[in-house]
Amino acid sequence: MFRGRHVGYLEGLRYKGKEHMLAWALHRITGLGILIFVGAHVIAAFFLNALGDDVSTTITTIYESTPMQIFVYFCVLYHALNGLRLIVEDLWPPLLRYHRELLWFQWLIFLPVFGLPAFLMLTSILSGGA
Amino acid sequence: MRSRYPSRGSTFEYYTWLFTRLSGIFMLLMAAFGIVYANLAGGRTLMDMPTQYRWSFFPTYWHVQNSDIPDVFPNWSNSFWQIYALLLFLVAAMHGFNGLRVVAEDYIHRPYLLLFAKWLVLILFLFTLFAGTIIVFELFI
Repeated sequence: MFRGRHVGYLEGLRYKGKEHMLAWALHRITGLGILIFVGAHVIAAFFLNALGDDVSTTITTIYESTPMQIFVYFCVLYHALNGLRLIVEDLWPPLLRYHRELLWFQWLIFLPVFGLPAFLMLTSILSGGA
Repeated sequence: MRSRYPSRGSTFEYYTWLFTRLSGIFMLLMAAFGIVYANLAGGRTLMDMPTQYRWSFFPTYWHVQNSDIPDVFPNWSNSFWQIYALLLFLVAAMHGFNGLRVVAEDYIHRPYLLLFAKWLVLILFLFTLFAGTIIVFELFI
C-alpha cells in the first residue's frame, strides 16, 4: 500500500490513514518481527545443538538480551491483540461501526499490559542487572 | 493492486484467509492453556515471569529448566508436551510463513522474482519444520 499509491516514504510515514493505517502497518511489522525472532531462535538452537558453532552462540546471545526480549514482547502482544480485534470484526461485521472505538480500546489494553513489564525490564537493564 | 480480500473464484486464498484467523485463535488458546498449567503446577511461586512466558510460547522442558521447579523431568518433559509443542510449532510456522507469502505478494511485482520468493518461503518453512521436529524430540546425532 505504501508503494502502490506512489507516495514518498516520508509522506507514507505521516500516517494519513490515521490509526487504521498505523494498526495495519504495525500488524505487518510485528508479524515479520515475530517471524524473524522465532526463525532465528529455532535455526540457531538447531545448529547450536548439532554443531556448537560460534555463529549460533552469537545469535543466541543476541536474542537472549533484554532489548530483544522487550522487542519480541511488543511484537507478540500487539500482533495477538490486533489479530483478535480483526477476527472479532470479521466474524461480527456490525461491530465495524465501532471500528475506531475498538482500536482505541485495543490501545487502552495494550499500553499497560506492555508498559509495565517493559518498564520493569528496562529498569533492570539501567540498574545493571540481567 | 491486489485486493486484500479473496475473490469468489479463488478457494486457495479463501482457505488461507480462514486458516490465518482460526490458527490465530487456536494459538492463543494453546498459549492460555500452557500458562494456566504452569501456574497450577507450581509456577506461581517457583517461576519468574519470563519463564512463564517462555513456557507458554513453546512448552519444552528446557524453557523452564533454570527456574526453581523441582519436578521438571517427569511432569514437564513427557510425550504429551512434546506432541503439544510440535502441534503449536506446526500451526505457528504455517501461520507465519503464509503471512510472509502474503507480504511478498504485496511488495514483489516481477513475476519470476515473486515465484522465486515463494519457493524460498516454502523451502524456509520446510527447513524450519525439520529443525523444530529435531529439537522437540531431541533427535540430534
